Amino acid sequence: MTSIAPGTALTGPRITDAGPSRNTPKPKGGIGTTIVVALVALLWISPLALLVTTAVRPLSDFVSHGPLSWPGAFTFENFADAWGIGNFATTYRNSTILLMLKVPLGVFVSAMLAYALAKLRIWFGAAIMYIVFLGLTIPIYITIVPVFVMARSAGITDSLIGLIGPYLAFGIPFEVLVLQAFIRQIPDEIIEAAKIDGAGPWRIFLTVVLPLSVPALVTVFILDAVATWNEFLFALIMLNSDASKTIPVGLLNFQGQFANNSTGLAAGILIAVVPILIAYTFLQRWIVGGLTAGASKG
Amino acid sequence: MTTATHAARRARKARRGGPVAWVFALPALIVYFVFLVYPALSSLWFSLTDWDGLSAAYNVVGLDNYRSMASDPVVRQAAVNNLIWAVVTVVVPVLLGLTLAVMLNGKVRGKPFLRLIFYTPAVLPLVSVASIWGWLYNPQYGAINAFLRAIGLDELAQPWLGQDSTALGATMVAAIWLRVGFPMLLYLAALQSINPDLYEAATVDGASRWQQFWHITMPGLRPAHYVVIALSVIDSFKVFDLIYAMTYGGPGTATQVMGTWMYFNVFQYNQAGYGTAIAVVITVVAIAVSIPYVRSQTKEHAV
Repeated sequence: MTSIAPGTALTGPRITDAGPSRNTPKPKGGIGTTIVVALVALLWISPLALLVTTAVRPLSDFVSHGPLSWPGAFTFENFADAWGIGNFATTYRNSTILLMLKVPLGVFVSAMLAYALAKLRIWFGAAIMYIVFLGLTIPIYITIVPVFVMARSAGITDSLIGLIGPYLAFGIPFEVLVLQAFIRQIPDEIIEAAKIDGAGPWRIFLTVVLPLSVPALVTVFILDAVATWNEFLFALIMLNSDASKTIPVGLLNFQGQFANNSTGLAAGILIAVVPILIAYTFLQRWIVGGLTAGASKG
Repeated sequence: MTTATHAARRARKARRGGPVAWVFALPALIVYFVFLVYPALSSLWFSLTDWDGLSAAYNVVGLDNYRSMASDPVVRQAAVNNLIWAVVTVVVPVLLGLTLAVMLNGKVRGKPFLRLIFYTPAVLPLVSVASIWGWLYNPQYGAINAFLRAIGLDELAQPWLGQDSTALGATMVAAIWLRVGFPMLLYLAALQSINPDLYEAATVDGASRWQQFWHITMPGLRPAHYVVIALSVIDSFKVFDLIYAMTYGGPGTATQVMGTWMYFNVFQYNQAGYGTAIAVVITVVAIAVSIPYVRSQTKEHAV
């Protein structure tokens, strides 16, 4: 949907951190490489670092000393201004509601389809998979005109409800790809044993398959939450009124209003990205594991 | 009938699939068809009309929209921009990501932290990335011009996003910033799965670092190359958010890509039929390019 690239399959019930690995010897020495990588990292993080130093200083200090200087004075006023003018209380609420409605639902129906593909030997399974995976490659804009027409005739253009259907549809391919690869790795014996105990497909799904798939479910949940939080194009075409806007659309308006107020703009951008940065820092193990598990497979 | 044969029959039935499998599959499939497949296909129909996007009536004009595209200079520019965008924002992040991964896989301190930094831009909303870079590029207050002036290169300070010659390049720099992390992560994971004994054996045999890279590392990364490049190409065709939020396709039409030009036709110029035709063309190209990847994923998983 957005910057989170879709479609690497997890290879089995072993989503682990791709962290320090067996074949790297204990890092002693390597100072030269460390310095080079650290310098590049410094360059990479500098836009965000400048954003912080700009957001916490008064505009007059910024204008007189320039963007690269250390703040001469500190203030939180920029955040207060940006919060009010950027309508962030509303956009935060809308993005949160959307995430809480869409993501659990999307993960659940995707897990059901993944189970059918991986373990129930569904008729036309390969064809279904092909068609669903093809969805990974479809750019959103091929669907926006018909989706907009559908939403308009249903009278839900300016509401979050209108976004749920398209968001679900564009999340399903990636979620199914990851989940079916994971569920496939669950040993058939476990499922057979549950069957012999008299469990039907639903009970097997709810009490055997889902609990065993928790690592993949968590990864998919997080990646889908990030994509939903960041989605822009559908939100741009569907949401008109300020009351219904999500964070990316709200930020776009805000950016226009604050074009000449660098400190306020920096504060507003930070308000928009800080929750996702915090979430990423704490959940990166899952994100990295989910994105990379497929690529390391031979 | 004994329970054993009953269970066996049930198991056999389950192996064959049956209606129960479809009960599990249907909710996701219905949503997928209603909100993705059906809209994508009906776009094909809209692309054959002169619909303005608002009125109830429209005429079927056949392939006229596609013919107009051929003579639309903005479409030509957008197609070229898309192509440049695809090449640059795939090649540069992949090479840079590979380099960083190889370096991070060696003796480096603080590896988890460094890895965290390089992937950070990728989790941000694209609109915020656009805002950040729009602010860095600001001709008067932006950090980039300030830096150039600080090191005495005043004559290089310029309105990066405001002139034809630099605008597209400037947007691509932002794209590179945010897209290096993904190949780096995938390559790093792949490097860690290469058997370290191979390197030891090669060292014993007197192979140089460079020879080891070409004869052990690169072949070991082959599956990763495939995934990285396929996903990067697919992603590059979807470019919209970053350009829309940074330049609105401007100045003039200098940074228009198919996605933004489609959007402007549909939602600003009331040419929904024409805009949809543009979307159809870029989608067909995107699908054609990515079919090998989709096929390989299906083959890998289908039993």
